[in-house]
Amino acid sequence: MRRREMLGALAAASALGQSPKRKSGIGCECAFAPPAAFPPGSQVFKDVGSKLRITDMKVFGVTLDEKIARADRPYVFVKIETNQGVVGWGEATLEGKAGAAMACVNDLRDFIVGSDPMQSEHLYQLMYIGSFYRGGPVLGSAISGIDQAIWDIRGKVFGMPVYELLGGPVDSRGVRGYYHAAAWTLEEARVLRDKTREAGVTALKFQLPDLLEWVETNRKLTRAVKHMEMLRQGLGPDIDFAVDFHARPSPTVAAIILREIEPFHLFFAEEICPPENIRAMQRAARKSTTPLATGERLIAAYGYNDLIDLGVVDVLQPDIAHVGGITALWKVAAAADAAGIRMAPHACEGPVGGIASLHVDAAIPNFLAQEICGLMEAGEMNRVWEDLMGFAAMRMRDGRYPLPTKPGLGFEVSEVALKKYPFQGTRPFPPAFHEDGSLASL
Amino acid sequence: MRQKIWSNLPAFAPQAVVTDHLSIANVRGWRLREPSSGRRYTVLRLETRGGLVGFGEGGPATGAEIGEAKAAAMGRRPNETEFIRHRLAATPAMEAAVNCAFLDLLGKSTKTPVYQFLGGPTRFKARVLAHLEGDATIEQAVKQGFKAFTMPLPSRDSLWRMQAYVDAVLARVARARGLAGADMDFVLDAAGALTPGDAAMLATVLEKHHLMWLDEPTTVLTNDGLARIAEESVMPIGLGRSVTDIATFQNLLRWGSIDLLRPSLGLNSLSKIKRMAAIAETHYVAVAPYHNGGPIATAAGIHLAASLPNFFIQQIPFPTSERDAAMRAELTSGSVETVKDGFAPLRNRPGLGIDVSESALDRYSEERV
Repeated sequence: MRRREMLGALAAASALGQSPKRKSGIGCECAFAPPAAFPPGSQVFKDVGSKLRITDMKVFGVTLDEKIARADRPYVFVKIETNQGVVGWGEATLEGKAGAAMACVNDLRDFIVGSDPMQSEHLYQLMYIGSFYRGGPVLGSAISGIDQAIWDIRGKVFGMPVYELLGGPVDSRGVRGYYHAAAWTLEEARVLRDKTREAGVTALKFQLPDLLEWVETNRKLTRAVKHMEMLRQGLGPDIDFAVDFHARPSPTVAAIILREIEPFHLFFAEEICPPENIRAMQRAARKSTTPLATGERLIAAYGYNDLIDLGVVDVLQPDIAHVGGITALWKVAAAADAAGIRMAPHACEGPVGGIASLHVDAAIPNFLAQEICGLMEAGEMNRVWEDLMGFAAMRMRDGRYPLPTKPGLGFEVSEVALKKYPFQGTRPFPPAFHEDGSLASL
Repeated sequence: MRQKIWSNLPAFAPQAVVTDHLSIANVRGWRLREPSSGRRYTVLRLETRGGLVGFGEGGPATGAEIGEAKAAAMGRRPNETEFIRHRLAATPAMEAAVNCAFLDLLGKSTKTPVYQFLGGPTRFKARVLAHLEGDATIEQAVKQGFKAFTMPLPSRDSLWRMQAYVDAVLARVARARGLAGADMDFVLDAAGALTPGDAAMLATVLEKHHLMWLDEPTTVLTNDGLARIAEESVMPIGLGRSVTDIATFQNLLRWGSIDLLRPSLGLNSLSKIKRMAAIAETHYVAVAPYHNGGPIATAAGIHLAASLPNFFIQQIPFPTSERDAAMRAELTSGSVETVKDGFAPLRNRPGLGIDVSESALDRYSEERV
């Protein structure tokens, strides 16, 4: 009942949009007159849209104690309020640039406040295309936070979890996940194997043992290969393990390591080289039979075009807090699905984005596994998440993240709890340096 | 005479204000030859109107080419490196030498080391590679602080049976590794002697031995020829010791045929190599300048190394003969090619930060111009 009321009666679309009048004499003949109404273009939808309107958008910076979470990533949460009491939450956390992400959310305010949140696709276009300067992680993260909040509202209005709006769930038991892990000796790897089996977890991800240069020495190449050999030996055959190269090597060095680790049958090797030059990545990718994954630093579906069309990798890893929210993550997944590429979304920020990602995961047939930058043992960070969300967010049961069941994204963030973790400013992503003092890629 | 011919050419930019105290007023050159190895290089001495002196080294050059360098540099200010890069494009050794001397002058006139002009230090020391020659041994180089070495590939005549050849190369690699240990690194120097097909086979056989790279496998720098090597193996390929134009490297990068840019310090100015490096950076490819010249260019190379984000290693000649080593040390009033734990320190002094000895230049020169 209430739902119908919100959507309003859809009247026949009689009114044509007014053509914008050219304004002359301002020195730029290509400029259109600034829109009289905000959000721009909203008046042309007055007879076809819902009666729901966004009345306010708030952005919250959330800093955890440095002992609990890294200082480069205060969470950035977006809250959108409407004229009918429905609110939505999203996450725009951007590592090392929380201040910029918060400012960018506010820069987009005129597109959002006053608009109809049922127009999620139109508003996504308005924020991405309408921004003129497209893409980039700052805009991408701001759009992500707003888009998630809009989808949260949409789900609540329809009375459905977001994954149902997206055509899911593909598997109602939940979505497969993996934790981060470390083991530096065979004994440690064996202990980890037992713990992993006990927890019902089926996949883990590890780091490389060294920082790497663009050409490498015997010592470091040997150590990288031996590390993965040891992991396979210690973990046994039935735990999938991925290794995050974290863009440390060049294609040159990655190709050597990939050739030698083929017999260890990794889950995937991630970010085998830096992300900007897709054709350079392709050089190494062509020589590898280990599945390759990348994509956490790329923005919007456009950012993944070359990776998909050139057939460079086997797994894409967009981050729902950067790629452009639910709208963009779903589009990347759709293009990847058509090309036989799987999705293992990245998530190394807060609990809101993690849960939003689960909704998309649940609705895509080409889903592989969901990351969360957490360890098998629930730590202090998980206690804070429980405080913020009211439940143990992003913890697996039997190797899967259970699907939320409530409408929208399926949670309420406690503003009372938010006040306990006030924003303390942004710290940069911590850099790493080689032996000679030069900056390492990380 | 030559100077006059050049000054009549209208195609070049008008000369800078010649009254400036930094404009070049005097140019002299030495054609040098090391007594034992016969290695040749050229040193230029540029003096400004204000009396400031800068030195620059380039590869072997004729007296006429030195004359051209003189004509190009006279009256110019030392900041005009872009003019020189175009003006001396046809005599790359002289372009390298004049640029080096210009940078030395710029550094001395502002009392800053050359690496500051090239973008400031991105590292505090530079990894170095001993270019072993003659009967120089790995043990000798290790004793002097090197941790990386070139290893010449035996050249194969048509009667050397392929299996025997491959076995011989593998034995040489194993012996070197055995002598030096797992923490030492090698570059296999093919000196352009292989066909792309033989190089592909050899690279594949060697790839698991973790040589740093296979250097100059072939002189066939065609896209198709190099693709054979690059597609067959994961062995990194270094190329370019005789390349003198930036676009050739750009093409090799575009085709994914190169893992390491090896512009020679004798044939490319620091400013030109910086441009090459900027292009390589976007392909995640490193730069390791080739060097088979003298100690002044070695010092210049370390300044460049400090400034390049994608520098990997600087090659330094490692002479066997004591006479050659003595000459190199005398030219710079004491050796500037010292190495510690595989790295060379930066010289935090104005210009190149070395004291070139003019009497040593006179002593070892084949010709003064």
